[in-house]
Amino acid sequence: MKKDEHISEEQLNALVDGELDPEEKSRMYSESELSPELDQRLCRQRKIKELVKHAYEEVPQPRRLTGAPLAPASLFGRSLVAGALLVLGLAIGFFGERYLFETRSNGPLSIAPVAATVTETDNYILHVVSGEPEHMYAALQEARELLDSAGEGQFRQVEIVANENGLDLLRSDVTPYADEIASLQARDVVFYACSRTIERLEEKGVKVHLVPETDQNYTALDRVVTRMKDDWKYKKI
Amino acid sequence: MGNSRDRLYRMAYAWTHDPQLADDLVQQSMCKAISNQKQLKDIGAVDAWLFRILSNCLKDYYRARREVLSSEELVVIDTRTPEQEAAELQLVNKVRKAVRKLPTTQCQVVTLVDLEGFTYATVAEIMEIPVGTVMSRLCRGRRALRESLINIRPEQQDKKSVSLQRIK
Repeated sequence: MKKDEHISEEQLNALVDGELDPEEKSRMYSESELSPELDQRLCRQRKIKELVKHAYEEVPQPRRLTGAPLAPASLFGRSLVAGALLVLGLAIGFFGERYLFETRSNGPLSIAPVAATVTETDNYILHVVSGEPEHMYAALQEARELLDSAGEGQFRQVEIVANENGLDLLRSDVTPYADEIASLQARDVVFYACSRTIERLEEKGVKVHLVPETDQNYTALDRVVTRMKDDWKYKKI
Repeated sequence: MGNSRDRLYRMAYAWTHDPQLADDLVQQSMCKAISNQKQLKDIGAVDAWLFRILSNCLKDYYRARREVLSSEELVVIDTRTPEQEAAELQLVNKVRKAVRKLPTTQCQVVTLVDLEGFTYATVAEIMEIPVGTVMSRLCRGRRALRESLINIRPEQQDKKSVSLQRIK
């Protein structure tokens, strides 16, 4: 048995990953000074860690077929998720204050207090992901009730965004609710069909026909995030 | 290190090696994060929370695709063309190829520790497994990487394509 073999791989990993307490770390470094074998094992372990890190410093960005162009490549996705984080932050109260997530180039996702008071609005974005007729109907009903319940003189906007199976709500050859949609559009409700879901269906050879006046220029998440950043209320159906 | 979106995307890419899928997983994760934001009780744990959602999205993806009998047993597909094989000679591609061959759960642990610098305890929280399991998966994963990248010379590497298979 080699003299360094009592040092397990788990211990070596713990050392290179900074999981050991200072005392244990000193002991292992001292041992590695005396044992070229142990020192070599330690170097190999470090090298593996560094290689993995290096291999993913730059990663290929996704290709988008439709929707907002990527220029620079990841700008859209970056702002989208940064927006989502912002929304998350806005929605989370912490120690009685409101916070938002700040995306930085280094370190953990950080949190900064919001300087200004967040304005309450009374607009709604409804998100439909289910293709079940009762869920689609519930979304339309919800929109109608929200419009009906707006106070006198109050301007309330309602939008409905559909993705995944929920896209069926807006497919003219599938939806059972074309008339209800038209009547809500007449009341200025805007309907969004997720561009990503459309892409996926078309990649599978499905021709997507949408009800008139449906906006298909955004992904569902993009629309939701944009509206939530504007303090709209979000409801998933 | 990139910003938060880049961090999630880079991790998703390291797990899947598919830019489109990685992007989808990140977006899906953010949708879920928005929907379930009330579940985040400890603001300090937001990193682990987001990466846990990402990890669960990957699980859901595999479940939906029915590709994985058990993610512990998964060995990932390699369908390289000759041109791509040539590119593999480059260091980065060689490392990615080795990472891609790891079982998914080992790949996740290795990349969470190496790319994000998460502690073992945080990785345990993200993947909802005991710390001991994190350590053993990390150990097995790094051992496999070491064998691929350091101990084996290029001409000794197996040139056959591998497909999805059980390893037990």
